Amino acid sequence: MIPVSRRAVLGGLCSCSAAALAACHPMNAPEGPVAAGFRPTLSSDEGGIWQVMDKAEADVRTSPFRIRDEELNAYVKDVVCRLVADHCADVRVYVTRAPYFNASAAPNGMIQVWSGLLLRTQNEAQLAAVLGHELGHYLQRHTLQRLRDMRDKSSFGAWLTVGFGAAGSLAGLAMLATTFSFSRDQEREADRIGLELMTKAGYRPMEVPRMWENLIAEQKSDPEHQERDVFFKTHPSPEERAATLTRLAEAAGPTGEISGDRYHQHLKSLRGSLLEDELRLRQYPRTLVVLQEIVAAAGDDGEIAYFTGEVYRLRGSDGDAKRAREAYDRAVALGGYPPELYRSLGLMQLKAGERQQAEKSLGQYLQLRPDASDRAMIQSYLKPQGTS
Amino acid sequence: MLAIVVSACQSTPSSKPKELNREAGQSRIILMPPDVQLSELEAGGTLEPKGDWTAAAKTDMVEAFKAQGVARNIVFVDYDEDKLPADKRDTVHRVTKLYGAVGVSIFRHQYGDLKLPTKDNGFDWSLGPSVSVLREQYGADYALLAYARDSYSSDGRQALKIVGAIAGISVPGGRQFAFVSLIDLRTGDIVWYHHLNRDTGDLRGKEHANGTVATLLEGFPK
Repeated sequence: MIPVSRRAVLGGLCSCSAAALAACHPMNAPEGPVAAGFRPTLSSDEGGIWQVMDKAEADVRTSPFRIRDEELNAYVKDVVCRLVADHCADVRVYVTRAPYFNASAAPNGMIQVWSGLLLRTQNEAQLAAVLGHELGHYLQRHTLQRLRDMRDKSSFGAWLTVGFGAAGSLAGLAMLATTFSFSRDQEREADRIGLELMTKAGYRPMEVPRMWENLIAEQKSDPEHQERDVFFKTHPSPEERAATLTRLAEAAGPTGEISGDRYHQHLKSLRGSLLEDELRLRQYPRTLVVLQEIVAAAGDDGEIAYFTGEVYRLRGSDGDAKRAREAYDRAVALGGYPPELYRSLGLMQLKAGERQQAEKSLGQYLQLRPDASDRAMIQSYLKPQGTS
Repeated sequence: MLAIVVSACQSTPSSKPKELNREAGQSRIILMPPDVQLSELEAGGTLEPKGDWTAAAKTDMVEAFKAQGVARNIVFVDYDEDKLPADKRDTVHRVTKLYGAVGVSIFRHQYGDLKLPTKDNGFDWSLGPSVSVLREQYGADYALLAYARDSYSSDGRQALKIVGAIAGISVPGGRQFAFVSLIDLRTGDIVWYHHLNRDTGDLRGKEHANGTVATLLEGFPK
């Protein structure tokens, strides 16, 4: 692999300067994949990083943005343990309230899954692929590798700067660039490991490229908002990943477990609140794609129909009023929608001058939500016209 | 030969009370676990966190605070998070994290050049009333919170400094940045604040930690 040879070259140069001025650092933690039950000694560079991450983990654990739903957290953890039984006790999973597609792995075994990701993986196999990818970063010590690489490259760059003046700082910039491209190679390695782990655990490999195709479809629906994707900036392009993963998944075989029903069952009680967060992003074309993907995987229901109606109502483009009303009608027919449907419907009816129907809908909302925080405002809409 | 400009910057403490509230004879102050990070400054300028140094410095600082508290007739109460219910523990954790952010802001905006137009009436900083959790649980008047980031040049950095000096290029070394505050647990207000920002000072070893803590506590209310 290219990065390895590049590191070897740098290592060689570094040891030259080390011989002269004792500038080199000993590699003071084991190389290769993390062993089960491993914990580094505090005096190693790895131990220092773990200590910092343990502190960061305490912040995550006590954060108001952590989703504390025990059942969901236990479910995600179960999938982790199915992927890496040996490391089950070494890894902690935190579901974080953040409406974007992202997950992260820290070197100390903390894994964070963002809530926006849970709306975008459509079955357990896809979730397993993401978790497997993050476990790949953890198992391969990617953070430590990157930090060591940065330290050695920047040390070398500093020597160049002092040794050769301005030419050295250019070399330093070039090295900084390779530090970041290196991490893309790590992403590729994590993709490969994720696919291997989920295949070994009995999940269907082809679900991985399917997830990427869904993400690409979502991204393409809304070219304006591509810059929002922090995730895609630091990773290889989704197209490249989908292509590579399709090739690898085809080689891994066509069979395996998908477990869409189980996945959506576990998500069900939280899904409404996740969709509310999603709506607040006002990225309507994307949200519509996500809703369609949920319907394709889990079937239509009143809640999804309601949120589809909300997207149209809030977007308010030509024809959206009609689309929203149709979606609300569908929600009522399917059942399982939140009482807020009547508020939305009532407000639309008010706007359309359908006063009687509006009063009925808004009344229904207040009846179903006795503790509604906007009760006073809704009641003001219900007052006879002409009074204030 | 280039001499590196040494700026040992130490603040005059900001203090509202000259004297502590000592209704019960002695003042009860909760000593919160200090937020400490020691690092080694590598040749290229990256900071490498040092786990063993950090763990030892944390213990040594707590000991130093306690020893120096005795001389000031202060009873330092240990914070034991296991004694708190989970939700309150989370609150305390968030408050101490907030303290790090507020403390850095004070350094920047009260003592630094980035003055805030809304903060021109003396010293007016607070962590908010959620600190009362600690008052209720411990019956204490104040909490003492400390924050320290200390870095030390690696051998490679030392060598680079020497070569740099010969070549006429300034290569900065490690830095000690620390602040300590007294929080009024009735209001959350920061009633006393003192920071250090210097390229001297050390937190490695009991003696050095003791010295840094003594400097940090200069001007502590009586």
